[in-house]
Amino acid sequence: MSIEKRMLARELKLIAARPGDIFKPMWFLMLVISMVPLALAPDSDLLAEIGSAMIWVATLLALLLNTEHLFQSDFSDGVLEQWLFLDRPLAWLVGLKLIAHWLFHVLPLILITPIAGLMLSVPTEVLFALLATLFVATPALTCFSGLGAALTLGSSRSGILGVLVMMPLFVPVVILAAGVLIRATDGSDTLPLMALLGAFSVVAATLVPIAVSAAIRLNIGGSN
Amino acid sequence: MIFEPAQIEISELGCERDDRLLFENLSMKLESGQILRVAGPNGAGKTTLLRTIAGLFDIQEGEIRVNRLPLKECLDQILYIGHKPQVTRDLTVLDNLKFLTGADEARLKSALGDVGLKGYHDSLVKELSQGQGRRCALARLWCVEAPIWILDEPYTALDVEMVETLDAQITSHVNAGGICLFTTHQLPQQLDYQTLELGHVD
Repeated sequence: MSIEKRMLARELKLIAARPGDIFKPMWFLMLVISMVPLALAPDSDLLAEIGSAMIWVATLLALLLNTEHLFQSDFSDGVLEQWLFLDRPLAWLVGLKLIAHWLFHVLPLILITPIAGLMLSVPTEVLFALLATLFVATPALTCFSGLGAALTLGSSRSGILGVLVMMPLFVPVVILAAGVLIRATDGSDTLPLMALLGAFSVVAATLVPIAVSAAIRLNIGGSN
Repeated sequence: MIFEPAQIEISELGCERDDRLLFENLSMKLESGQILRVAGPNGAGKTTLLRTIAGLFDIQEGEIRVNRLPLKECLDQILYIGHKPQVTRDLTVLDNLKFLTGADEARLKSALGDVGLKGYHDSLVKELSQGQGRRCALARLWCVEAPIWILDEPYTALDVEMVETLDAQITSHVNAGGICLFTTHQLPQQLDYQTLELGHVD
């Protein structure tokens, strides 16, 4: 079996062994969304207006929640350092891990957002824009939070620190996505902003694995 | 199987951690068939030396060459087993080994038989005892074809019988042309090894 197949098979087995890793962020997302109408006035016009932005932010937080410990258990078990001896560049393996993470952990989150949209009576055309922005933007977000996770591997309270370090990179993605949602609500052209979001994801997916592999090497070099 | 002649050449290696000099001007040459035990008190730098030779730590001073090539190009020749578990607790014994070694199932099962874990292939690592977990990590010595073995405290948590099995496996590895470096505080009875004492640097 090739190393790539072994990585993917391992990810699937880990999911089967720890199903909570997938379902916890999904519960979190649905919980936040079901609290919004209770905390605000249950006015469906108001909800429809802010609903898509609420869902976007809740999805981002759920994504951060399931990415912050991306490499932690492999690092403390000493399995991560074994990646260095596999016959592939570390950045390539990291890229595979990020792709697998997006497929198995982030995609399910995106797929339940239409339900959240219905709960907040988000108009259908905005809902489509919401789904499209999430599809296009989450690869970048996954990469950035993965980098935060890798940078803070060695420190004990790593979760929130990694998110804070990566905050400046999340901001432009969120602003662009908000722009798309506003334009979709107005009914104007969303393509230019979507293209920018897509460019963000492409650049992130190309460069971040290299940065993550450097961060992992640094942390392995500094630990026993 | 028989390995191609292998060699590790260490020249003028030096390392300092947290302002403490662990070793300097360390030079030696290891060739096929040799076993080296790195000895020294706690904190002498045994793990640091092994991890440096395994390519996990950057070389601060000096040079390490494997088969005349820089170390970084030869990491696939090295099998490193550190003192961390090296296995994932939530996966089965077999899945762990499949990922780490890429060997086929029949070979992995026979390796598990060799380390006394026959019938445990479908058990999760977290269900095993500490010694069995260690045996699972060490099972890689029976199914990976890397000439250079670097083992950090391989005897920890092993019973007498497994210690003998491990010694026999190390012996047959070096007889086939491999090289083995390890640290331990228990003196292996059945191995023919050289010793490198660390901890004499002031």
